[in-house]
Amino acid sequence: MPAIEASIMSTDILEQRSRRDARNERLFRWLLKGCALIVLASLLGAAGATLWGGRDAFGTFGWHFLVSSEWDPGNDVYGALVPVYGTIATSFIALLIAVPISFGIAVYLSEVAPAWMRTPVASAIELLAGIPSIIYGMWGLFIFAPFFADHVKPWLTSNLGNKPDDGKLSWVAGHVPFVGKLFGSDYPFGASILVAGIVLAIMIIPFISSVMREVFQTVPTRLKESAYALGSSTWEVSWDIVLPYTRSAVIGGIFLGLGRALGETMAVTFVLGNAMHLSASLLDPGASIASTIANQFSEAAGLQKSALMALAFLLFVVTFVVLLIARLMLRRLASKEGR
Amino acid sequence: MSALYLRRRITNAAAMTLSMLATLVGLAFLAWILWETLRQGIGALDLKLFTKVTAYGEDGGLLNSMVGSLIINFIGIAIATPIGVLAGTWLAEYADRTRLGESIRFLNDILLSAPSIVMGLFVYTIIVLPSTALTHGSTTFSGFAGGVALALIALPVIVRTTDEMLRLVPSTLREAALSLGVPQWKLTLQILIRAARSGIITGVLLALARISGETAPLLFTAFGNNYMALNPIDKMSSLPQIIYQYANDPGEAMHALAWAGAFVVTMFVLLLSLASRLILFRTKVSHD
Amino acid sequence: MTDSALAMSSAPETAAATVAPKLAVRDLHFYYDGFQALKGINMDIPEKQVTAIIGPSGCGKSTLLRVFNRIYAIYPKLEAKGRILLDDEDILGPGYSLNRLRSKVGMVFQKPVPFPMTIFENVAYGIRHHEKLSKADMEKRVEQALRSAALWDEVKDKLKQNALGLSGGQQQRLCIARAIALKPEVLLLDEPTSALDPIATGRIEQLVEELKSQFTIVIVTHNMQQAARVSDLTAFMYLGELIEFDRTERIFTKPGKKQTEDYITGRFG
Repeated sequence: MPAIEASIMSTDILEQRSRRDARNERLFRWLLKGCALIVLASLLGAAGATLWGGRDAFGTFGWHFLVSSEWDPGNDVYGALVPVYGTIATSFIALLIAVPISFGIAVYLSEVAPAWMRTPVASAIELLAGIPSIIYGMWGLFIFAPFFADHVKPWLTSNLGNKPDDGKLSWVAGHVPFVGKLFGSDYPFGASILVAGIVLAIMIIPFISSVMREVFQTVPTRLKESAYALGSSTWEVSWDIVLPYTRSAVIGGIFLGLGRALGETMAVTFVLGNAMHLSASLLDPGASIASTIANQFSEAAGLQKSALMALAFLLFVVTFVVLLIARLMLRRLASKEGR
Repeated sequence: MSALYLRRRITNAAAMTLSMLATLVGLAFLAWILWETLRQGIGALDLKLFTKVTAYGEDGGLLNSMVGSLIINFIGIAIATPIGVLAGTWLAEYADRTRLGESIRFLNDILLSAPSIVMGLFVYTIIVLPSTALTHGSTTFSGFAGGVALALIALPVIVRTTDEMLRLVPSTLREAALSLGVPQWKLTLQILIRAARSGIITGVLLALARISGETAPLLFTAFGNNYMALNPIDKMSSLPQIIYQYANDPGEAMHALAWAGAFVVTMFVLLLSLASRLILFRTKVSHD
Repeated sequence: MTDSALAMSSAPETAAATVAPKLAVRDLHFYYDGFQALKGINMDIPEKQVTAIIGPSGCGKSTLLRVFNRIYAIYPKLEAKGRILLDDEDILGPGYSLNRLRSKVGMVFQKPVPFPMTIFENVAYGIRHHEKLSKADMEKRVEQALRSAALWDEVKDKLKQNALGLSGGQQQRLCIARAIALKPEVLLLDEPTSALDPIATGRIEQLVEELKSQFTIVIVTHNMQQAARVSDLTAFMYLGELIEFDRTERIFTKPGKKQTEDYITGRFG
């Protein structure tokens, strides 16, 4: 065996190299930190740029901008109420549909389905999340909206709405408050707040269900097993053990979906009808913040452009807050697990 | 007692059936959307899609949009990858458990789902407007601006995966290298990033999949162009933008072209996510 | 444990009374975020001998080893107080650079951790940081290290292959080659065989025997038979204190302390 003689490097060279290493190390740290700060800068920049761009609109209309439903480029008067209402209404409908379905999917995939089915089905559902939103938009515009106009809408207007085709008011529309207004419509096309809400729901189901499924899997097996040992049914374990244990993260997942829905542009723009007037009916067309910007920004100038920037600022702030809540809620479960 | 028992069993059976139905509904919509995209898209496939530019309208193809998409996506990924990998490395290796590190990790997660249209307006403000001012008034939309907008959307995806993948690298690897006297920056660049390589590549592929379908941020940055544009400082068409434009056109022939574009985009995105899954799966297997 | 100081003062007499120690530990205390893991350790480790550190898990044996090359310093909130003299120079002092320390003290870990590169690069990687060698010199140096680690014959035809393809035992010998390629003076082995099968373990033990002519070796092990087989001196630690440190045959035949005897005979731990 060849002998390895003892190290004979001089201390001077070593110290010199130590200094060089320390300098390189500092440079490297600065570079890395700089890149990380770009993440911060892009968030602040997006908020700052839209606020700055919207300063004329905020300055001209003040608080009135938030509560006015008037959007009149002819007279250069702009109010955010119609798109704000459209954004909230479509997102709310989306959650109303997506949350129970996502919960069902998550329960099925984590508690009910046979083991061999779980991964493929979960992957397939996650595939839905990868489809670009413009594809949802096209499907909504060319396939779903016409289908809705032909098969669903007539039933809704004649059985629930206050403007039935045959003029006879249904019992529900006559006796239950609001329902008639929500489902009454003279407008013959499918594109509407309700359809936009449904398309959004399909878009966010994969997000919410995969978060729910993931957090359901973090429930300790011994917790579930002890409940099963007491004779609990699968449903009782899901509802009484799994859901309370993961409640904060489930709410986080829902808010994550809400954040997506609020900011979504393409899927909504295609199927919302883009009408800048306020209607109580879910079957009438409307507008959302994102769709208004997408439709008008290219041709807008002056105060209209500023108003659109102001809308973008509102949207950014609202989604930021919603996503902030989502992440905080999700983190609460993670800290419970000691991660 | 047995009435209670019966009620519990019925509740359970109903709930289980509903959960299965929910899954079926989810899968049904997936199948419906994919089926329509395939059916309409394949029906509209034609050689002229790949040989003619959009300037010919109904008789044209999508060549300039496809090339534009490739260029804009490439710019986006080329900007986002180095920044994202280095930022993710900082979060995992240098700032883990520091206040600034935790805050940036948290904000990055928020950026991950931030509305893309606002990112488009941001880039419009910082790139399109200043360059318009420089060129004395003519609005200068550009493929480059589109690429930057997409980079901002890809960035948080890459930061997040790099961060996660590096934190999966066992700390013994760090100790082994440091015990040889290797400085931390060398260890990070030459060993850790290499050890997490396949995970990081997965993140880049996922980011590419994410931005290939993005439409909203391109409307006010790359804008669109009916002719072939190869120079990134020119206005540039892209597949999502042309799909948006053609789908809103009243002409049936335009709709067919839009479906063909949608088909191409969907296939590209699905292949990318499939590829990234395969890479991740293969590494998981080889590690065990 | 009032008499532990006595035991330690007696250690140098029996262990290395005549030669100056290679590593001298003086009143070493170690804290994990406030928790005291080492309590006033004093110990003289002689040159070119194998010193084993044994004790039940959590006794601080790995902690002690990890202070010898200051690898603990990469984690926040860990703190060592006291002195460790390597050839009479305090390695915990501010003037002792990590570069210098780690070129003199090599370490091999519990689990084999090859770098994600070729076998050749694994060995060459550390050398490159410390010395500029020509291609031919580098090849010679790598071969030398692999031979010393008794791995050369098994890998000489696949030096360009990824090191992750080697077996666990080969990977661990590669890690030893990587460490000795830097020509260190002290080699720290942290339970180097705990992840290996008996045959691979035997080869590593044989290798330790061969390497001690060139290096001062400190090995931490939870396996008492291993300590008995490979070491010249054995230190027994318990709850952060050094209970007894003596020639190995003495520790295993006539331990001076009741606790040592209880541990050796398997009454606890």
